[in-house]
Amino acid sequence: MAYHDDLLKHAIFLSELNLPNDPKQVDLRRAVSAAYYALFHLLTTEAAQNWKHQSQRNRFARMFDHGRMKTCCSKVSSRPFPADPAEIPIAQSLKLIADSFVTLQQARHTADYDNSKIWSRTQVWETIAQAEEAMTGWMVIRENEMAQEYLFDLMGTR
Amino acid sequence: MPFLPRGVARPADLIKHLNALAPLPGVVNLRHTVDNDWSGDPAIFFWITLSDEAAHPAILPQTTRHIINEITQQLDPAGQWGLIPYFNFRSQSEQAKLKEEVFG
Repeated sequence: MAYHDDLLKHAIFLSELNLPNDPKQVDLRRAVSAAYYALFHLLTTEAAQNWKHQSQRNRFARMFDHGRMKTCCSKVSSRPFPADPAEIPIAQSLKLIADSFVTLQQARHTADYDNSKIWSRTQVWETIAQAEEAMTGWMVIRENEMAQEYLFDLMGTR
Repeated sequence: MPFLPRGVARPADLIKHLNALAPLPGVVNLRHTVDNDWSGDPAIFFWITLSDEAAHPAILPQTTRHIINEITQQLDPAGQWGLIPYFNFRSQSEQAKLKEEVFG
């Protein structure tokens, strides 16, 4: 199983500990972080697949910067849909992925650094569901030209 | 001169538009705060308490997707107010136990 899938499974596992009514904050926080990194690693691994030399792909994937990726995703979220009706479903999926990335990144930052925030299981499950939906959506559009452009843009090249 | 988002410059207008939102199924309480996100971008954080039925794990993704879509379409936080929207959810029974002020 790919690392990003393992991360998502790990997030689910952590979120379901101590059911029904006694979740530990540490488990919920780590679940949120794992959900974000599931999407993060899926996208960076996908981008690295385009790098010709297999032995350098892990190094390539480490070149991505969280802040630049957020900037790219915010631009994708706010741009109008394409004029060509055939491209609209792809653009909608891409927008959902970009929106989810921004949301998950903020959640991850709060989970990892803001100890004043109290997490509920509902919030964590919603976060995991968003990561799952984005990852599933990506697998559908990943070969499309617009999706491949998005991977390139995630590096912060424009 | 730094750009001031409309949502920060005109908070009363923002509240008026929030109050005018059509009823959202499953929402027991909806509050918001305006603040910067982790990277310093202006943002609006929604703190939404759901009924226990609406927060049931079997329908939670559909519930939250519908609420996010409705608020995003009706309010357009990023386009109209210059604020990145972030949504936080919890169930009524969780809030009864956690009593976090920001959720009301």
